[in-house]
Amino acid sequence: MMSELEIRNLTKHYGETRVLHPVSLSVERGEFVTILGPSGCGKSTLLRILMGISEASGGEIHLAGKRLDLAPPEARDIAMVFQSYALFPHMSVAKNLGFGLKMKNVPKDERAKRIAHVVDICNLHGLLDRMPRQLSGGQQQRVALARAVVMQPSLLLFDEPLSNLDAKLRDSLRHDLVALHRRIGTTSLYVTHDQAEAMAMSDRIVVMNAGRIVEIGTPLELYRSPRHVFTAQFLGQTNLLTVEASGTGGRLPWGQVITLDRPATGTAQVSLRPENIAIIADENGVATVSSVAFLGATLFYTMEIGTLSLKVSQAGGVDPLSVGTRVSFDLAGPVHLLDHLPMAEAA
Amino acid sequence: MSVLHRHRSLQLLLLLTPGVGYLLFFFGTPLLSALVGSFQLEDGTFTLNWYQCIFTRASTLRGLSTSIYYGTMPVLLSLTLSVPLSLLLRRSFLGRKLFSGLYKLPLAVPGIIVGLMVIVVFERGGFFDRLLAPIGFTLPKLVRDDWGIGVILAGAWKQVPFMTLIITSAFAAIPEDIRHAARSLGASRLKTFLFVDIPLAMPGITAAILLTFIGSMSSFAIPDIVGPPTARPLSVLMVQEFKQGRFEQVYAMGMVLSLFAIIVLLAYYSLTSRIGHDSRKGEQS
Repeated sequence: MMSELEIRNLTKHYGETRVLHPVSLSVERGEFVTILGPSGCGKSTLLRILMGISEASGGEIHLAGKRLDLAPPEARDIAMVFQSYALFPHMSVAKNLGFGLKMKNVPKDERAKRIAHVVDICNLHGLLDRMPRQLSGGQQQRVALARAVVMQPSLLLFDEPLSNLDAKLRDSLRHDLVALHRRIGTTSLYVTHDQAEAMAMSDRIVVMNAGRIVEIGTPLELYRSPRHVFTAQFLGQTNLLTVEASGTGGRLPWGQVITLDRPATGTAQVSLRPENIAIIADENGVATVSSVAFLGATLFYTMEIGTLSLKVSQAGGVDPLSVGTRVSFDLAGPVHLLDHLPMAEAA
Repeated sequence: MSVLHRHRSLQLLLLLTPGVGYLLFFFGTPLLSALVGSFQLEDGTFTLNWYQCIFTRASTLRGLSTSIYYGTMPVLLSLTLSVPLSLLLRRSFLGRKLFSGLYKLPLAVPGIIVGLMVIVVFERGGFFDRLLAPIGFTLPKLVRDDWGIGVILAGAWKQVPFMTLIITSAFAAIPEDIRHAARSLGASRLKTFLFVDIPLAMPGITAAILLTFIGSMSSFAIPDIVGPPTARPLSVLMVQEFKQGRFEQVYAMGMVLSLFAIIVLLAYYSLTSRIGHDSRKGEQS
């Protein structure tokens, strides 16, 4: 059984420069998958190839059982929401929404019905006669979203659609997007460099770096038990430490013995999330608080243990410890062991 | 001084005098004296005689229609060349930098040189004719032909770079994402061009049309050298009248020519302001 979207060994190079190493990915029907990575990781290139505005150097793409990569952009059953919104500035909102349907020769009454439907689900009431430049950023983004959704495509692409909006609006639109996806159930591929966005919205996250897929998993899997150092660092905050392991036991650099979540032998790397370290003031403790930041809901500490420094977070309900306080700490549960793989072998 | 303090408009007027005054004096005065002159007999009495001459004499009526013809045809020809050329320049190809430098060369060549060039190269018995003669071809009559083909070709040759320059930048101002959005919404390359590129580049294209139209309607050197003796545009007739010392007639012809240019400009402004008005209507609803 083939997935809704199948990307097989997709490559892209400009002369000697490789922007995409062979990339393979399958997305199930109705899934919301996020491609997450820093800028220049190849995620936008992948999107451009999917859209058909850039040509792959090798590999195949199948959508709903049909070969996609040989078709021109207009013949692909894909709609895209752009970072710049890309609304047609010379057309009213209504004409923007109707443009694609007209191009695909959808009959007039069907067109009106579909537009009325997206106006409803994207909350565009009263905006139909406006020109794009008379809309706020958030409204423009909702029109861009509606313009894509009205096509009822097999695949919806999102290219960092929320990154031009302010934090508050971004938050509310993120919720709207998730709700919309739940309602229409269109297979979606969402590209972003914002890990919070990826965590909050996705069924699965594809972590990319330097033209390769590093790791694929649900937000929970990737956050709690990432296989790669890159994933551990890119999703949230973490402390990377080397341990001397034997079986499920491990010895931290300052001598403390811990339990690992998997057996290993020899030198290994662990990822220790700041919120999994519990600290208490203790005159005989091994660590010293070197900085405190109060962020409201959380308290953020840096502690020094010898030459190492460790990030620790705590629920913000308690009074903060002051800088210079000696502390001892406990680790909640077994510590997560990372795969011992250099980046290049990741994909 | 207190008068100045109280009257803000007077202040403004004084401040603007160096700029606006300069324009009014050096641009307005000659125009005004030409206007006045065109309504005067040699002894200074009022007359409509000179305008009557223009609109009743066969040669000047022909001149008027020829002026419009020479204004329109090169523009149409240049437009059909400039739009594809602009699209070509948008893509990347080998030697694009060299090409985009070369195509602007005609901008630097004065009209009179273009006229002489056309004669040397395209005249019967000229360069091409002699080149083609041994293989049994003769060049059609392109110089001083009745349809003014030579004038149109030479005019277009000179206008294409200017037009292309403006239209290229009009196309370049359209964000790529907008074109990509159209493609992904099911519009073919052609439909994207027709429904997205052209409407968005329209202000630039109309500006290019107007500027070249006014330029070629009033050009003198090319129609004088390359044009047929039977149909002479007003610009050429003006010089003939001038040589015979009939200044009032020259003034009147100049006024008619200017009037046409102004009508075209006004048409342009009313067209563009109507487009602006349409989009404002949405704001109120």
